[in-house]
Amino acid sequence: MTTPRTLFEKIWSDHVIVVSPQGEALLYVDFNLINEGQSFLAFDQLRIEGRQSRRPQQQLAVTDHYLPTINRARGTAGMANPEIRRVVEMMDENARDFRLPHVGWFHRDQGIAHVIAPELGISQPGMLITCNDSHTATNGACGALAVPIGGGNQLRHVVATQTVWLKKPKTMRIAIDGELPKAVTAKDVILSIIGDIGVGGATGYAVEYAGSAIRALSMEGRLTICNMSIEAGARIGMVGPDDTTYQFLADRRYAPKGADWDQALAYWRTLPTDAEAAFDRELFFDATRLAPMVSWGTSPEDSAPIDGAVPDPSRIDDADRRRHVERALDYMQLRPVTPLADVAIDRVFIGSCTNSRIEDLRAAALVLKGRRAVVPGMVSPGSSAVKRQAEAEGLDRIFIDAGLEWRDSGCSMCNGSNGELVAPGERCASTTNRNYEGRQGRGALTHIMSPAMVAAAAVFGRLADVRLLS
Amino acid sequence: MCGCYRETVMQPFTVLTAVAAPLEIASVDTGMILPGRYMRRHRRPGHDYGEAFLYDLRFDEAGRPRAEFVLNDPIYRNAKILVTGRDFGCGSSREGAAFAAMDFGLRGLVGPSFGEIFQVNCIQNGILAITMPVTIIEDFWRQLRERPGAEMTIDLPNQALIAPDRGRHSFDISPLRKDRLVRGIDDIDVTLEYGDAIESFEARRRAAMPWLPTAQRE
Repeated sequence: MTTPRTLFEKIWSDHVIVVSPQGEALLYVDFNLINEGQSFLAFDQLRIEGRQSRRPQQQLAVTDHYLPTINRARGTAGMANPEIRRVVEMMDENARDFRLPHVGWFHRDQGIAHVIAPELGISQPGMLITCNDSHTATNGACGALAVPIGGGNQLRHVVATQTVWLKKPKTMRIAIDGELPKAVTAKDVILSIIGDIGVGGATGYAVEYAGSAIRALSMEGRLTICNMSIEAGARIGMVGPDDTTYQFLADRRYAPKGADWDQALAYWRTLPTDAEAAFDRELFFDATRLAPMVSWGTSPEDSAPIDGAVPDPSRIDDADRRRHVERALDYMQLRPVTPLADVAIDRVFIGSCTNSRIEDLRAAALVLKGRRAVVPGMVSPGSSAVKRQAEAEGLDRIFIDAGLEWRDSGCSMCNGSNGELVAPGERCASTTNRNYEGRQGRGALTHIMSPAMVAAAAVFGRLADVRLLS
Repeated sequence: MCGCYRETVMQPFTVLTAVAAPLEIASVDTGMILPGRYMRRHRRPGHDYGEAFLYDLRFDEAGRPRAEFVLNDPIYRNAKILVTGRDFGCGSSREGAAFAAMDFGLRGLVGPSFGEIFQVNCIQNGILAITMPVTIIEDFWRQLRERPGAEMTIDLPNQALIAPDRGRHSFDISPLRKDRLVRGIDDIDVTLEYGDAIESFEARRRAAMPWLPTAQRE
């Protein structure tokens, strides 16, 4: 009898080339995604050392962080900031010099790496995927082991050797059982988890999301949940592959076809965690008790149900937590015990690798249809394909008629690498993943929430309960 | 031209005795350590990342040093050790955050917990990020508040940390990372010794799973 194993353990052991006597393992990388955000540091060093890309066909460069989402017609010549323009040009040069396939500016697949890799069928069950981006675990929703790496030294290593050194993480299963209440989405699930366990709660673990609520989610929802694993501290987050996964992958460009599909499917079906497999830690959440969430502070763990209030630090016993909350409320310009639904906002942003897929845009459009946003804002689809799909469905008209800007695809205002920033002191309701100090721009005040909740905030001009509009 | 910074990536680490500064803030993410607007530059002598380290905490909107911020106290000008709050370096994977800490002059970080990507980035570039229980960290903060400018020692070969009060605390580190840090070994050199194993692993895997995706440069 073989020992029952978890999904993580099966994929991990399938990729181990050697285990060092000192405890870490050298693992084979099936596919490496590269964005332009500081990857030039890796290529700078590779040039000095005279190294080339070992397996360029198992890499994909994706320009996503620094592209403007507006006025693209003139290409780099139309980019006002020379530093930003240079980063975009360097990705072109590095992809060329290292012979890497590249989804750049005017490629039909252009989009955010973690949106396009699943969309193209690159992210498949059983694969080990790396990317110089902390949200790489997004791809784990496809049943892959997807690991974020640093954009300098570690990326250089993967490009040159197609391998990565990793310390084997512990395993954690987070089971979410029951039916999600109306208007409660994948974003609310993951914000509830992070709010409960904290931004360090899963540090050192590979997390598997399980339970009936996860099974019932679409791939888009699973991608959102895995995406924010790093906001709970986990580099790795994954969902066991099932029929939802296989139906999503079938016929995608890079998915196996014909006899390969049958063979792949037979292998994929062996991957889900065995019934008796043990995890180092198990957490349970009751889906029926979850509510639409918003963040109020300066860390993703600073989140609460929309019908709650800003916490009062004087009532917090833990000194470390109290200090953090005091600092957060000072930065966020919020007073203790203010009802969250009383917090007025200045703008909205719908986009990012967390919530920019077609289902996200549909959810926001459903709320905005026939309504007006009373604050400015923009919508940036996760990929050019999502943009085309949304336009085919008429979602672009709904956003535009509501008064929002319909932009091109990119990371955009999630972290403002491309210069699309929230102004100092401006308060933004955002579908993104982080609300740390200065994340969307120096002095920017960020509240993260689901696409439907951002749409509701746009309609009311303050944080609002989407259930009032449905 | 390339941003030639140095010929070898890895800086060895053995024993460090240096001024330690307390940074009593939780959840300082890598975006606070290296604000996004400083991520666009190459790294080379005279054009380093140190000036950007914790920029928005060190300086106000007008670029003036915030007098109340601990690292602006001249007594910490030569600090090489930072005693941090929990989850220091959480968030984005930007390796530039580790470069910023290093170029600022830091070689040792001690805290209750670190963002894992950041911790790995630090260790792979020769900065030791040590995790210790929060009660010990709070005691270090107290000692450093009482004796500003006091020194601490990090003895990596013996996995020991010596506090300002001379108290000795042991710490854990992956034996592999310890060995590579002490000897200043770059991962890539170790990996290339396994070249044959990588080749045969790759050939086996591609044969068994011919459907694994490959992309072409257009």
